Amino acid sequence: MGNEETPQSSRRTTRSLASAIPSDNTSEAPRKSISYKPTIYDLIYRNRGDKISSLENLISSFPGRSSQITEVLGHLGPLNSPMFPLFMYGGASSGKTSIVLEIFRYLRRPFVYSSCVSCYSPRILFESILNQLAFHRRVEEYGYSSVKKCDKPSDFANFVKEALVSVLDILKGKSAKMSAKGRSADDLGNMIYLIIDDFELVREWDKSSTVLPFLFGLYRMLGLPEVGIIFISKVSPDGFYSNSGHIEPIPLFFPGYTEDNLRQIFMLKKEKSDLNSCFLDFVLKPFSRVTRQVDELSVAFCPLYEKYCEPLKVPGSNFSWETKQKRGDAKRRLFSHLVPHISPSLNQVFNISSHDVKATSDVVKGRTSVKKLGTQDDELDFHLSVSAKYLLISAFLASRNPATLDASFFDSTGGPSNGKKKRKCSEKSTEQKEMAEQELLLKGPGTFPLERLLAIFQCITYGADISIDEEEEVHDDDDDTLENQGAQNDLTSNVLLQVSSLCNANFISKGSSCPLEGSTRYKSTVSEELAVKIARSLKFPISRYLYRR
Amino acid sequence: MEKNPGEEALALLRTRICDPNAFFSLLPPSPDTNFSKLKFIVSSSITEACNNSVLLLGPRGCGKTAVLELVLKDLLAEYPDMITVIKLNGLLHSDDNCALKEIARQLCVEHQLLFSKMASFDDNTQFVISMLRECGLAHKTIVIVLDEFDLFAQGKQRLLYSLLDAMQSVTSQAIIIGISCRLDADQLLEKRVRSRLSHRKLLFCPPSKDELERLLECLLSLPVNSSLPQSYVVEFNKELRKILADQKFKDSINTLLSSDSTVDQILRFLFLSVSTMDLKTGILSVENFKSVVEKINRKPKLEYLKDCSVLELYILVCMKRLEVKEQNSYNFNSVMKEYKAIHDSFQTPDSYARNVCLRAFEHLIQRELICFMDNRGYNQSIEFRSVKLLISPYELHQGLEKNQNCPSMLQKLMNQTGQRS
Repeated sequence: MGNEETPQSSRRTTRSLASAIPSDNTSEAPRKSISYKPTIYDLIYRNRGDKISSLENLISSFPGRSSQITEVLGHLGPLNSPMFPLFMYGGASSGKTSIVLEIFRYLRRPFVYSSCVSCYSPRILFESILNQLAFHRRVEEYGYSSVKKCDKPSDFANFVKEALVSVLDILKGKSAKMSAKGRSADDLGNMIYLIIDDFELVREWDKSSTVLPFLFGLYRMLGLPEVGIIFISKVSPDGFYSNSGHIEPIPLFFPGYTEDNLRQIFMLKKEKSDLNSCFLDFVLKPFSRVTRQVDELSVAFCPLYEKYCEPLKVPGSNFSWETKQKRGDAKRRLFSHLVPHISPSLNQVFNISSHDVKATSDVVKGRTSVKKLGTQDDELDFHLSVSAKYLLISAFLASRNPATLDASFFDSTGGPSNGKKKRKCSEKSTEQKEMAEQELLLKGPGTFPLERLLAIFQCITYGADISIDEEEEVHDDDDDTLENQGAQNDLTSNVLLQVSSLCNANFISKGSSCPLEGSTRYKSTVSEELAVKIARSLKFPISRYLYRR
Repeated sequence: MEKNPGEEALALLRTRICDPNAFFSLLPPSPDTNFSKLKFIVSSSITEACNNSVLLLGPRGCGKTAVLELVLKDLLAEYPDMITVIKLNGLLHSDDNCALKEIARQLCVEHQLLFSKMASFDDNTQFVISMLRECGLAHKTIVIVLDEFDLFAQGKQRLLYSLLDAMQSVTSQAIIIGISCRLDADQLLEKRVRSRLSHRKLLFCPPSKDELERLLECLLSLPVNSSLPQSYVVEFNKELRKILADQKFKDSINTLLSSDSTVDQILRFLFLSVSTMDLKTGILSVENFKSVVEKINRKPKLEYLKDCSVLELYILVCMKRLEVKEQNSYNFNSVMKEYKAIHDSFQTPDSYARNVCLRAFEHLIQRELICFMDNRGYNQSIEFRSVKLLISPYELHQGLEKNQNCPSMLQKLMNQTGQRS
């Protein structure tokens, strides 16, 4: 999300607070005292400190976006001119939200901003808009309640019209007074704008699909020419088509940044422009082949830049930038220091060692970050108990191996009769083998009932205990096999707890219940590399138990 | 502060274009317009004190609501205190309970009665029926406008039935006006409802070309007797007439109308062209109109394809290859297999780790260039859910050509797959 450039303000809390760059005006967000009386000026985006007053400033702070900015400005038009609803779309991190907010700061016009990420249901969206229009804050005083309870679109249509009319009345009164005094610079105009961000999420809200055409048609339904509506979405307008159609807003596309734009953006933030530009020479090209999103690139560049600057900080190193020859030499030395770090970083989604970076990428990725944890663990040590590790392995085995072969693998008398199975496999034609492989790729890990997991767990811990005991003394387990058995029987309650915590950590996913058996089925989401790694840490011979097709 | 005449003129034009009724109020009065037909139907039922119903049908953006608004405005002026207008919208009030509540609420507002939020469905029905009777006795007409009429026909149609049934009695005096973009809206009704509906239908069509040309001048020219300086207005209107006669302008209007010739589309076009007007000179030019046509007729998929990074393009081509191989379902894992195979056989420089590819894959899903086959399997991880391409081979081909970063190797690969299929 393109909020790197958004300076923080006291009012906008949704996206600007998540931005990674700490801005210098955080201190100007004062704790609003209880006696604070909100006014119409709350609907303006303003910073008391610095003011972007010129259009040139605005355009230069967003490299590569000048045509989009002029288009939005043209669409909003001069003061007091009505507008058709605008639909802004473009990929993630292309500056849609930040540009719109900055433009409103520049224009000093009142607006209401709601994002469908934080307002995740129609009701919350409606109430957020109404709260802002009524200058209502959800504070302790009112028990954090909204100004109005509003569940249905039909109620919202009535309430919002009322609220808008009352705000517009205030605005008209203000602008009449202003023009009487002759201070047109302070005139807020008598338009109010509703901005709805992340609009693509609305499609998932209701299956009966009335909210979407309702919001698209809101402009016509209100019948107030003084209200401008702006939708911001990651999905193009053709992703919104519904059965009976709707009133279409005017589309405006924000294209992704080109390589030149990216360079300009990254040059904006750093102070040592000379050094930074050399650094970008090296990294921008390879990285932009992978992704061109500013947020992801900046996450990748941050640690790399630190690495790049490392030789400069070493005492005794003499880097000088005076002459051309020396500069070239310095560049070469810095580059050779950086080279080994580039390609690992290219193949990394996010860096775990740095807390800062991880937090931001978690925000960005949200949904998938947990799953990815399983695959990225070079330095990650698992703080799991031994039994949890065994559980993970047994879940992995249960997911990969067909249930019918369990007996032959885990039969304590026969032991794993690998040779026999191998032969059986090779008898199959290669074609069939390919088919099976394909199937595995498509189907993903298999499901298993809890009983099977526990049975495999019993088997491998029983087998493993002996082998471990022979090699090294496990401190809390006695050598006595009898006692061992007893401990394992005790374990079950403990194990069930561990299973549920592994489920919560998304190592094991809990599926729907099987229609035939009626019991819940589980599935391991752990990748093979991770399972092998865990097995190695336990010195458990996992390959002996893994069925190879 | 001195006001820029261009700015003022722009505000004036934008106000005019954004008012949905303006376009239709400019239409010349003649007996066969929908406006006069509708006005005749409604006014005759007011004067003759009878019940009536009419359906306004036609595609979206052809001015059904706008014409109705104009008619109602005229009639409200003509017969003050004799008409009560109730407006419902199928998007908001398709649920019977909610709809009756809204009717009761609007009736209360109109007649200065106290509306009770707690009233039950039965109370509201009783109230509405007795209001219908009372109004009939006082010779007041209730006009009920049902926007998105087809949505009221979902479910049991209790609302429509009870309204139409109440209108069967002699005492009541009401007009139901249904507005729908479905031409078969009356076929959706149950028999008992349909038989109570009078089958008057008005069909709304996009304006013809002659009409349009006349209207464009009316819409865009500045009024002579306004606060704007006289010389500026004359200059502006002269320039405008020149533009309207220009062949280039006519061409762009034709390309616009060939895809969509509804009034809404024309208004959007005019709005965008007017907003690009140079405020310094304050005069419109042909370029303003020409550039907008491209802006309106967008190709979003191609735009997103142009935004793709090289890795994302690789994934798309891999998926295309899988489709050509007639694999009926595939997921991220099979795409990765194909990706590895391409890398192995062609030694491309773009071989990245699996998680990086997965991120690129997610970008594609986010941009809706690809999507999951089904909504099942939410608890399954992304790698295993089967996916499909949302772009045609032609689009992909074009996208690869237009993308400046696209390696030539990838284009070659794409061409090969095209030939094989």
